[in-house]
Amino acid sequence: MENENSPLEVAVLAGRILLSNGAEIFRVQETMERIAASYHMETFHVYAISNGIFACGTENGVPHTAEIRHVPLAPVHLGRVAAVNQISREIAEGKHTVPEAFALLHQIEQIPFTADWIQILASGIGSACFCYLFGGSLVDCAVAFFSGLMVYIFVLLAGKKRLSKIMTNILASAVAAFCGLFLYQLGLGHNMDRIIIGSIIPLVPGVPLTTSIRDFFNGDYISGTIRLIDTLLIAACIAIGVGAVLKIAGMLGIAVGVPV
Amino acid sequence: MMSIFDALIQLVVAFFATVSFAVLFQVPKHQYAWSGITGSLGWLCYLLVNQGYGSVVIASFAATLLLTAISRFFAVWRKTPITIFLICGIFPLVPGAGIYYTAYYFIMGDNAMAALKGEETLKIAVAITLGIVLILSLPQKIFRLGLHKDRF
Repeated sequence: MENENSPLEVAVLAGRILLSNGAEIFRVQETMERIAASYHMETFHVYAISNGIFACGTENGVPHTAEIRHVPLAPVHLGRVAAVNQISREIAEGKHTVPEAFALLHQIEQIPFTADWIQILASGIGSACFCYLFGGSLVDCAVAFFSGLMVYIFVLLAGKKRLSKIMTNILASAVAAFCGLFLYQLGLGHNMDRIIIGSIIPLVPGVPLTTSIRDFFNGDYISGTIRLIDTLLIAACIAIGVGAVLKIAGMLGIAVGVPV
Repeated sequence: MMSIFDALIQLVVAFFATVSFAVLFQVPKHQYAWSGITGSLGWLCYLLVNQGYGSVVIASFAATLLLTAISRFFAVWRKTPITIFLICGIFPLVPGAGIYYTAYYFIMGDNAMAALKGEETLKIAVAITLGIVLILSLPQKIFRLGLHKDRF
């Protein structure tokens, strides 16, 4: 279906990779326009929102080439965003023909995610570090490290089973709260609240929050709103997951401590 | 007052905290250190302002100003999208603790505290927003600092 000689399709492919890997709308549109201009398309128009791209243009005097792509909200891969950015610079410098650019972009699409165990380990280390930053003791950090591992193992499993994003976030934060609570009850750790805060950090919606702010800043209000809703939903899911575990523990007569 | 030693430990821990998020978001390996530095300087700024001024909202705002400026500078210098430094660096400031305490007090039936914590969480989010928007509004040439005279 793809026409290897169409600059329009190169632009759309670049835009789709950017959008699905966590770039903001402004960057998507600007990159696509830059690519179209570099390949001397006579006209080019693009409209992108958080989960879709609409583009049309004129190539070699042939008008009305229209492209519509649905881009699902997917896990963030900033490495691909950086790689597309690099290619688009090179295209602007006239280094790549259209088929070459196609091949390069397809390679970028295939850049793998880091191995699962590295992501899990990063989640554990991140949780432990945040537990420390929020005033946890060293034992608290060790417990948060363990909970952080469990949280991300769950997140990755849920991703493979295609569990919905809402359920993933609720259950993953329940896992974080459960691990923290359980180990705390076993006598490990001094501050249950700091342990749990540390271990929910890998779930906290920092990426959609930042992207939302940047979309609003650039005047892309619809996309900013979509990301903002994403942010609020995730925050609510975390609150529900943690809250449910604490509530059940309370009902079972387990003291859940007083936060400082 | 925080001792130099404490400050150094906080810097190092914040560095690793930020780098672990760089790993989770698939940042290219050669940018890990720079996103780590962004995050740790932002966190140090947060701590110092919070100690001096006693307000987490003002501290979040000041830290966001600093780390967004650093991100923009790194973006120009390392020729890569600002997103890479900004998203990872902002993480220590994102009110994860606020979300937790809001949920905690709400579940415990302490609605007054829940409202207080919820309000604080929202204020921090607004402070982060304002900080990012202010720095993004500055003209690009400030961050070039004599680097890369070409268009980017």
